[in-house]
Formats: sequence, C-alpha cells, structure tokens
Amino acid sequence: MSGMPLLDVDDLQVTFDTASGPVHAVDGVSFTMAPGESLGVVGESGSGKSVTARALLRLFAITDDVRVSGSVHFDGVDLLRVDERRLRKVRGGQIGMIFQDPLTSLNPLMAVGEQIAESLRLHRGMGRAEAASEAVELLARVGIADPEKRATELPSSFSGGMRQRVMISLAIACRPRLLIADEPTTALDVTVQAEILLLLDELRRSEGMALMLITHDFGVVAATCDDVQVMYAGKLVEKASMAHLFDRANHPYTEGLLRLVPRFEDAHTGRLHPIPGQPPITGGGGSSCAFAPRCDHAFDRCHQEIPPEVAVGPEHLSACWLAADRAKDSTEAGRPWRRA
Amino acid sequence: MSDAAVVGATLETGSPEPEAATEPRGVLEVDDVAVEFDTDGGRITAVDGVSLHLATGETVGLVGESGCGKSTLARAILQLVPMQRGSVRLEGTDLGALPRRELRRMRHRIQMVFQDPRGSLDPRMSVSTLIGEPLRVHGIGDRASRARAVAEAMELVGLPTAVADRLPSELSGGQQQRVGIARAIVTDPAVLVCDEPVSALDVSIQAQIINVLDELRDELDLAMLFIAHDLSVVRHLSDRVAVMYLGQIVETGTASEVFTEPRHPYTQGLITSVPRADAESAARLQTARRLVLGELPSLLDPPSGCRYRTRCPYADDECAATEPPPEAVDHTDGLHSLRCHHWRDIAAGSGARPSSNSQEHAP
Repeated sequence: MSGMPLLDVDDLQVTFDTASGPVHAVDGVSFTMAPGESLGVVGESGSGKSVTARALLRLFAITDDVRVSGSVHFDGVDLLRVDERRLRKVRGGQIGMIFQDPLTSLNPLMAVGEQIAESLRLHRGMGRAEAASEAVELLARVGIADPEKRATELPSSFSGGMRQRVMISLAIACRPRLLIADEPTTALDVTVQAEILLLLDELRRSEGMALMLITHDFGVVAATCDDVQVMYAGKLVEKASMAHLFDRANHPYTEGLLRLVPRFEDAHTGRLHPIPGQPPITGGGGSSCAFAPRCDHAFDRCHQEIPPEVAVGPEHLSACWLAADRAKDSTEAGRPWRRA
Repeated sequence: MSDAAVVGATLETGSPEPEAATEPRGVLEVDDVAVEFDTDGGRITAVDGVSLHLATGETVGLVGESGCGKSTLARAILQLVPMQRGSVRLEGTDLGALPRRELRRMRHRIQMVFQDPRGSLDPRMSVSTLIGEPLRVHGIGDRASRARAVAEAMELVGLPTAVADRLPSELSGGQQQRVGIARAIVTDPAVLVCDEPVSALDVSIQAQIINVLDELRDELDLAMLFIAHDLSVVRHLSDRVAVMYLGQIVETGTASEVFTEPRHPYTQGLITSVPRADAESAARLQTARRLVLGELPSLLDPPSGCRYRTRCPYADDECAATEPPPEAVDHTDGLHSLRCHHWRDIAAGSGARPSSNSQEHAP
C-alpha cells in the first residue's frame, strides 16, 4: 500500500444539463494527493474548483441534472462507483469538509456539542457519554474557550470565526485523512482568518491529514499549502509548488490572477490589471484553449487546439501553447515569455 | 463623555498650539461623533467620539473588524442613524442641525455605494431609470438634462449604452455594481461614501470596480470615504487611513505611513494578518497571532481604559486604568496619530514582550 496516493483523481468530468444546454463544469481533471499533502486549488468563480471538490464525494443537489465520469480513487476505492451507503461513511468520516458559510452546514436548532457527538456516534460508534465528552474535547482542540458551556449552545450564539471553528471541530471529529476546505475564511475578518488558517495548518501537521483548500486568494494558499493548482473553465491550467509559483507563474491565466489584486506590500502603483472578459459560462468542452479569448499572448494555435500539459520546471506543469512550443524548442524549462 | 476622544482634528499632544492640527479642513468634517443603540443586551456605544476630515479629491480608508463601528459611522455621516453627540458638516453645513426637508435637499451632495449591488437595485426598473432616479427624487434638471446626466454617468462608470434598457437581473455582478456607482455619482456629489463596495464581487470583477472608483476620484475630484475590510484594497485606493476598534479611531495617518510603519499594536496585528503570496506567509500569521489575542470584547461591556488592552500583548495596569488620549507621532507629516500609552516603547523595542500565553490557542 505504501507509495499509493491517498487520492487519485483521473479524467474527472462533471456536466450539468441545464435549460440552456450542457455546462462542462469539470472537464477532464486529473491529480493525486499524497497522505498529509496540502494542496491549494485557485480560480475565479465558475472555474470548476468547488464542483471538483463536490464531485469527489458526489455532493450534488437533488435537483441537479448532473453527469459525472472518470474515477476518484480514495485509499484505493473508486468513490464514483461505491454505493450511497458506503459513500455516506466516507463523507464526514474519512473525508471531512468545511465550507465558507458554516451556518448552512450546521443545524440551527441543535446545540453544537450535540451535533459533534451525533457524528461521533455515527462514524466512530461511540456511546452517548463518550461522544459528549469527546465533543467538548474537540471544541477545546480548535481553540474554543470554555468548551463545556459552549457545547450546550446553538450555532447562532457563536461569532463568525467561532462558528467556523465549530465547523472544523465537526469536520475533524472522525479523524479524516483528507479535509476539504472550500473558501473557509472568505467571510471572516483578517485576524480571524489568520487564526483559522493557522489552525488548519496545525491540525494537518498534528493529525497527518491531507488538506485540499479551495480559494481565490493566493495569499491564503501561500500560508497553508505546499502545492497549488490553478483551474480555468473546468480544466487544470497550471500546477506547481507554491514556493515555485511565487515568481515563476507560467500560465497567462495564473499571471493574470496574481496581478489582478492589489498586493498589500505595494503602494498605489496606478490602475489594476483586470483580466478582460469573463470565463465561459458553459465551462469547458471546447476544442481550443478556453482562456485564449481573454489572453494577451494568444496566437492562432491557441484558438484551434487544446494545449497539452507540459513540464515547465521541476514538478511544474502548465497547459499553454506558448509553454509547449518553448519546451519543444529548447531543453531549458522556464518562463516562456517575458513579463509585460 | 471623554473630551479626549477626538482623533485627528485637534491632537491633544500637550502642544501649546492646538491649531497645529494639520489634518486638512475640508468638504466633509466629522467631529466627535457618537452613536448609541439599544440592543437586546442593553445600550451600546457603537461609535464613540470619532473625528474625520476629508478634503476634495481625497480618499480616506476606514478599516477595522466587523462590529468596530465603521458602517455605523458611515450611516451617521449620511444622517441615516441619529447621533448622540458630535457634528457632521458637509461643505460647511451642519447636517445634524438641518430640518428634514433641508437635509433631503443636501443629500445629493453626499452619496453612498453599497456592498450588495443586487439588493440595492429595484429589480423592476431599467438601468437608465435606476440611474436617473436620484435626479428625479431630488428634482434636479428637466427630462433632457437628466437623460444627458444619465448617459454621462454610464460612460464614467464604463456601462455600454446597450444596457440602458436592461433590468438588473440581466446584468453581471460587475455591471450591477457599476449601476450602483452611477446612481451615486449622477447627482454630482462632493462626497462618496463606499461601504464594502467590492467585497461581494468575484476577484476579477473587484479589480474592474476598484479601477472605476480610482478613475472617478480623479475625474470628478470627489472626496471618498472608503470602508473595507480588505486592507490591500484600502491601501491601493486611499491617501489616508483610519483604523477603528470598538467604536474609536485608534490610529490614523497617511496610508503609506500607517501601512508601512504602524505604531498601534492593533494596526500592527491587522496588517500582519493579511495573507500575502510569498514564502513568509505562514510565519507572518504566527506573528499576527501574538499581536491580536483572543476575541473581540462585547460592546455591552467594553474594557476600561484602553479599548484594545484585553487583546494587547503589551497591556499593563496603566492601560486598564486610563484611556490613552490621541497622540501625534513625532517626526512625521503631522497626520499620524494614535491612542496607545506604550507606542514609543513598542517602537523602540522595549515594550513588554508580547506574551505568547494566549490560552485561546492552546490545543
């Protein structure tokens, strides 16, 4: 079993059939995660990053008309092919999840300690008393002061940051081997965000769990993740170690995302550089580079063929024709064009 | 209440010349404003003696965490909530002293941009009707001049004429916020108050809207009060910045001063908490955790003395006993002031060491 990835996603495709036609939300995504690995997934709204995470656990609304193909091997078992009963054990068990708004995932009418205890009884087969005391322990573990008392309170009596801590304690209750966090700090103040990011990092290290963190903020990834992958129109367009990506972003979309936001350390340096246009609302599924219509560097081939993933550095992949041409021309892997 | 509660306008530094206050007197003068509310738990002072002056063409950023009073202050400035004390002068006119009808007449000179563009637009009105509405409400101009003003506002915010007849639901989030901004500037205001104008938008749209606001400030010579929790955005847009904590301004100065050399421990903590895309990102957050301890206290029971002391690693008995008055930072442009008993020691590195005994975090 050793050397086997914890998570092995192969050619994942997720298509929603909507009134206005099919939307290829995830379009052939493949990646692996090792035990204990931390991976940031970055992209704009609609890039497919959240749908990818939901597809791993087949978490779709009952109203969604959705088709999923490919495979998602978790610990050797293809989650896309196990029955619902088995999958329910994985969800909230071996794979924990936290979302941007904890209120949508917490029962507003049940004391938080009770909710955690319920999960412990379900997934870890604990008795009532044992589960109750373990719930208090977990609340303390995520930094909630006076946990015995807080365990008896409803979610509504917690502040935003404390509610997210409750959500995290619920997610880690069953000692997951993978924690998926979808924009976990987007709604929080910066000081609270800092606390939550540090907590996630500490839990990952102490519990040895893998962390997949979905965000639009490269700063958040830098604080918590070793590796990062960038998604656009349902595809992975770049993948690298975060340390490598800081100054060696290769794909024009990644460069665009990095230049899009004002960097705190920069004083006002004129106008920002929004990426022109919008992501395609139908997602992927095209026969050319989906980013080409918004790309300053696009040339004929970009509008004709889908670019392959090419190595542009050590453990650094980019799906871009510029990078592909450069890689063919030269053995030197690196930045294929100069910064504008 | 506290007569030392004025930051910026008259710095009580012990200097013999209070007129040396160099904060520009300007188009908007907010002096010693306090706002109280009754809540289920009792009466709270959401804004407690805040002073801020904005000059024409100037952008002042207002930052602080949820519940610090920044949005309440914005509403008080617009006279949307009653003030317990203090004054708001717009182009020399004391808004609080105006009868309701006169106040309505002044309102076109101070406009607001809201966080949620969708929620602030009537879904049944077309874009051009929405943008022209403030002109009709204020009885400004005739039909022809209003149409011209609407077209001009649309151009200024980058809305194509083709969308004039569309409904808000037919627009993208970025276009909706452009409509919100066009509505605010169509009456030719002197002051624009923006309350989290980009925080509900996707990142790529955020950049567009920030650029629109940036351009408007230059084109129209607006004074802008920019409220946001995203410090990078605030730094990008602001000439000066004021940091609020539990209803008070704890530090204020030019954006470059405050953001590069913050003196107040809270400002230092806030700035250090911003995750940056670099190799020191995680280490910086560890530092931030030592500068901002525990949780925000309740406004129902605010700490004695310095408001920040319950979360401050440098706090001592003096901080609990007396409220630090606003004090100017020496050797600066005179705009930089803060409320902290120990800032000199902290700056010199001789402040009490930040304790790392935050039991909040102990696993």
